[in-house]
Amino acid sequence: MSRSSVSAMDWEAQFKADTSTSIRSGKNGKSRTGALALDSDNEDQDITMASASESNSARARPVSVAPELYIQEDESPLSQLTKHWMNERHAPDILPAQEELLASLLDHIRRQSDAVQLLRGEPSASEEEHIRIMLVQMEVERVKFIVRSYVRTRLFKIEKFARFIMTDATIQTRITTAERAHASRHAHLTDRHFHNSVLQSLPETQSHLDDTPIFMPPMITKPDESRPVFVHALRDCPPIRFHEDLTLEMKHGHISLMPFSFIEQLLLRGYVELI
Amino acid sequence: MSLPQSLRTSVTPPELELIASQQLIEIIPLIAIEKTAFISGAFGPLQPPRKAQIPLWMAINLKLKKKCHIVAPEWLSVEFLQSRLDEEINEPGFSKLPFRYAEVSKLLLDVQVTFAPDDIQSTDKIRYLLKDLREARQAKSREGLDQINRGELSLSNLCSMEINEIRPFFVHAMGILTHLHRDASAEDQP
Repeated sequence: MSRSSVSAMDWEAQFKADTSTSIRSGKNGKSRTGALALDSDNEDQDITMASASESNSARARPVSVAPELYIQEDESPLSQLTKHWMNERHAPDILPAQEELLASLLDHIRRQSDAVQLLRGEPSASEEEHIRIMLVQMEVERVKFIVRSYVRTRLFKIEKFARFIMTDATIQTRITTAERAHASRHAHLTDRHFHNSVLQSLPETQSHLDDTPIFMPPMITKPDESRPVFVHALRDCPPIRFHEDLTLEMKHGHISLMPFSFIEQLLLRGYVELI
Repeated sequence: MSLPQSLRTSVTPPELELIASQQLIEIIPLIAIEKTAFISGAFGPLQPPRKAQIPLWMAINLKLKKKCHIVAPEWLSVEFLQSRLDEEINEPGFSKLPFRYAEVSKLLLDVQVTFAPDDIQSTDKIRYLLKDLREARQAKSREGLDQINRGELSLSNLCSMEINEIRPFFVHAMGILTHLHRDASAEDQP
């Protein structure tokens, strides 16, 4: 078979070519697998938002300047949410909240469930209708799972870093107002609990929660920026400097393991994803 | 509390399968279904005997109800896997495999074995080859452990499930090396 001698790179490109000719009328006209097929040839779909000069200076740019976001053209909201979900799971820090994406997906879920309710109300005898209803319901359950897991991951990190969030302004820009309110309530509750149960009986010098004893980690848990993560480059990245004798320039499709602090900027701009 | 302990440091294989089953796969439908709008896009209409592309989870579901035949992806064949296995054994470095080959092959082979074993030929041989591939790659990733340092470690062509397997140990090891180096350099500077 001549097709079996085709390399993996070609089969992925062919896979993508086949899907782009299939009958689809979604908002994203192009193939969705382009976003999921990691090693396929994406050059024709890359948005050339960053010129070469911009990308060289972008690495040094502080977070406060709104970063240029790189989003692959054919990514559906669901695949975007899946990517953000995985990023949130692997990152040691809290990533920016995707409020609009979540809101639009929740809206979509509600519309689909309403449509299913409507169809179930009618006595539809055809087998085809039953299958369609069942498939739509299955998909709704899958999307709900991803949404729930994403929100739970963020909630876990927020509760873990609750006291740090109260003191740090940059991290407050990345969480929603509801999450901030929850963090402040959580921090106050735990502080009061510790105070009432133990600390009020201790001598004055030891009854505070913000001193830093030697040889022990500080009492306010900060996100650990140096924790290593596996990154996958979605496009050619500007070079990253590790220390005096090591720089790495990642090409499209490169997979690497490195501390989170080095790729935080690239992650926020969407150049890489965590896997 | 919000996230169980088992999920805090790594991803579970069923979750990886969830992500992998969003990929599109080709099927030959046995039943006609109109165009339907799903959250991930609009699929259909399914008109037998024309081939169609639908997500993997949908295809497996229809197959379990005997409403379609799944066309096996190109790489899930004896010849392709055998050539990759030979490459894996003879050359250093990992051979190029589809990123989620472990998840997709597990899902497809499981559905073959229990129902209608007609779409993928010689499932036993394929399972055997996949197992050999997995072991060969695991041996190589163990060798890669030597190269962990505080900077970065490049692993080309490693696949999703394999990364998940080595993740806990590699992350922990590199974290400790980073801390050691940081403490050492902090001591050097008075």
